[in-house]
Amino acid sequence: MLELVSYGAFFLTVALTYAVIVLGLNVQWGQTGLFNVGVAGFVAVGAYVSAFLTAAPATGWLGGYGLPIWAGWGAGFLAGGLVAAGVGRLTIRLRADYLAITTFGVSVTVQLAALNLQPLTGGPFGVSQIPRPFAALAGEALAFGLANLGLLAASVLVLYLVLEHLARSPWGRVLRAIREDETAAEALGKSPRRFRIEAFALGGAIMGLGGAMQAHFIGFIAPENYLPMVTFQVWAMLIVGGSGNNRGAILGAVLVWAIWAASSVLVEALAPAGEQARAAALQTVIIGVALCAILLLRPQGILREMRRLRPAPSSKTDAP
Amino acid sequence: MTPLATAALVAGYERDLPIIKGIDFTLAPGGFVAVLGPNGAGKSTFVKAIAGLVPVHSGALSLRGANVTGLAPHELLRRGLAFVPQTENIFATMTIRENLQLAAAVLPRPARAGRIGAMLEMFPDLAHRSGALAGGLSGGQRQMLAIARALLVKPQVLILDEPSAGLSPKAVGQVFETLVRINAAGTPILLVEQNVRAALKVAARAVILVDGRLRHDAPAAELAGDPEIGALFLGAGHGEGARA
Amino acid sequence: MMIPQILLEGALTGALIGLGAIGLTLTYSILRFANFAHGELLTWGAYLSLSVAGLIGAATGASLPPIDPFSFTWALPVAGLIAMLLTAALALAVDAALFGRLRGRGASTIIVVMASFGASMALRSGLEFLYTSKPAYYTTELQIAMRLPAGMRATPDQLLMLGLTALVVLAVHLMLTRTGIGRAMRAVSENPALAGLTGIDTRKVIRVVWILGGALACAAGTMSGLLVQIRPYMGFDLLLPLFAAAILGGIGSVPGAMLGGLIVGICEAFAVHLIGAEWRAAVGFVLIILVLLARPSGLFGRAA
Repeated sequence: MLELVSYGAFFLTVALTYAVIVLGLNVQWGQTGLFNVGVAGFVAVGAYVSAFLTAAPATGWLGGYGLPIWAGWGAGFLAGGLVAAGVGRLTIRLRADYLAITTFGVSVTVQLAALNLQPLTGGPFGVSQIPRPFAALAGEALAFGLANLGLLAASVLVLYLVLEHLARSPWGRVLRAIREDETAAEALGKSPRRFRIEAFALGGAIMGLGGAMQAHFIGFIAPENYLPMVTFQVWAMLIVGGSGNNRGAILGAVLVWAIWAASSVLVEALAPAGEQARAAALQTVIIGVALCAILLLRPQGILREMRRLRPAPSSKTDAP
Repeated sequence: MTPLATAALVAGYERDLPIIKGIDFTLAPGGFVAVLGPNGAGKSTFVKAIAGLVPVHSGALSLRGANVTGLAPHELLRRGLAFVPQTENIFATMTIRENLQLAAAVLPRPARAGRIGAMLEMFPDLAHRSGALAGGLSGGQRQMLAIARALLVKPQVLILDEPSAGLSPKAVGQVFETLVRINAAGTPILLVEQNVRAALKVAARAVILVDGRLRHDAPAAELAGDPEIGALFLGAGHGEGARA
Repeated sequence: MMIPQILLEGALTGALIGLGAIGLTLTYSILRFANFAHGELLTWGAYLSLSVAGLIGAATGASLPPIDPFSFTWALPVAGLIAMLLTAALALAVDAALFGRLRGRGASTIIVVMASFGASMALRSGLEFLYTSKPAYYTTELQIAMRLPAGMRATPDQLLMLGLTALVVLAVHLMLTRTGIGRAMRAVSENPALAGLTGIDTRKVIRVVWILGGALACAAGTMSGLLVQIRPYMGFDLLLPLFAAAILGGIGSVPGAMLGGLIVGICEAFAVHLIGAEWRAAVGFVLIILVLLARPSGLFGRAA
């Protein structure tokens, strides 16, 4: 019984770290209509920067300054935001899908850098011994799990409240105005480009924060944690939750992570030992097809009745 | 046979938002009709709906007695309806000859070269630079190329959406002269115009659209002489022009 | 290593990238979205060639000798042609099931791009499911590189691929500039609404574009499989270089895509020799950033 509770706490905590990342994506896509295909890259930047500053030193690695965890989270947030601001400045004035291509390039390149810049990133083996919150409780699995769950839940709640507040602030209203009628917003003297870059940077920063939280909760990171599959999962979470809606984003994260974890368990249990990789591939096929089906059949998201904010970007706003 | 007719035509970009709210209209053989009206009356939407560019919600469109409601623009062209849009009405990255070749592709193969030749003969301005990119043409020449492109397929009906927009007075004169020639040769024309004075000079008949409905249908000369119509529907500036 | 040899190696990769990028640039300019599933068309093409060649081999009792001086038997070119048709059919099927429906509904560009991302995932994992992620090869023959002028060395297979690519690119270029369907494609790419008014059936043009894009992707995938190896991720790993080539050449330009491909390939070859092979995958990204900074419309592109 206790084991089940602590597994549940572990599961929910991981899901909530994804929820943070999905909230970041929701700022970019759901509220601003900016398409980021490189989510994994921004998450990785946050995770690596935080690990670099907070972990214990290791031979052959330049990082490991033993800074407190909160400093790592802050630095991950800043780093994700800086990278996103740079990409945004470069591509947001261009055609809409150049941003998609560039962000895709960011994720490929960040992954490559994580793999090859051994002195900075630990190379293929990544960084282990990343300090975990409440490490003093590590002996008692249940207390440790619940304390971490509490920390993550509180963080997601704070982030949620801040984002809801932002959406209703003048800044959020301008974003919405731009998304609905760019020319009208321009006529009001608002530079759509500047607001979009700000939103993209904020989203990237939140993804970086999510990456840092994940790294500290799991305790180690490696390049293969940041494959394009992560981007895909995060997108599935946002789409299932219904883009534009922060509560939907959190629910979508928990739901998709549950489906993902459950189907992985199923694959492991049902597929014969030699066919595990194949079965996992089939799992991805099914989820890819499901994503396309949702886009075709329920573009507003599955949890749309929960939606409180705005409708998803309509065809009018960014059709060519 | 009536070249073009609409019956209770309702059309608009979005399902629940009709801009054209039920228009019955007929274009007689050899007719030259100007569609006039205040800004936002739906003049352009009306002809775009006829050309298959704006969804028709209800009602019917017929070409020479055949029901063609809901057909795509390329199918309508093959049935004899040619439309010249107001802007971006030529392929700027292609040569003048290529623009004409594109249009000629709907004709049977042996007829193509002859029709291209005929168009170049009709528009000598285009002929002597047929290898040049259409994007380099002046506003008036572009309009001529757009008209040539539409005329090349020997349409049963020629529809133009504000061909005078953005042109110099001299070029406007040339465009309208050309339209008169085309109409005199037997092609019925439907013309949307802001330039009421010029339109009423060339058209035989005019209809006035207000808020998506047909308000007036009269010989052009009669409208040109009616000051009240001018003031009511065509804007003060144009009205004065119409009175003069 | 000597510079001519690096250039030759770059040209070989570049030719494959260019060939794949032609299909990408055409679908991009005519369908107006960045197709993230285009890499998977290359991969599917390579695997389809492998399977058809296997069937031909089985039917003929695996007795065919390699075509001198190349490493493969007649089964491969025949299989390649059949696979080009099959890949074209696959592209049409994906369009009918996914992109066409989104288009019909008037979905925004970005929704279509996202759908292509999902399709790419499903298509790639589908291959992993069918063939596993173990690399496969068309032939086990080993080839000895020939000595060429300027101290260059290349295998007969490599030279054949360069020649074939040049022929295909020339054919596509002539088709676009000299034939009616080519003109129609350019017309739809410049202005779809006006193309319809000029009598062009846009749906037919879109079908031709998918057929062409799929067939060229299959050719590129098969050649890449012959020169390197066949893996489920081969097309996905080429996606960034493909986009770089298409953007570098200017979206919609066939000669641009080819030249872009050559530039990407040669930059990759130099990066491999000067910095290290492990950084190859970042070259496409760096080039994209440079083009977006300096000339977003590409070398041959018109300003958007």
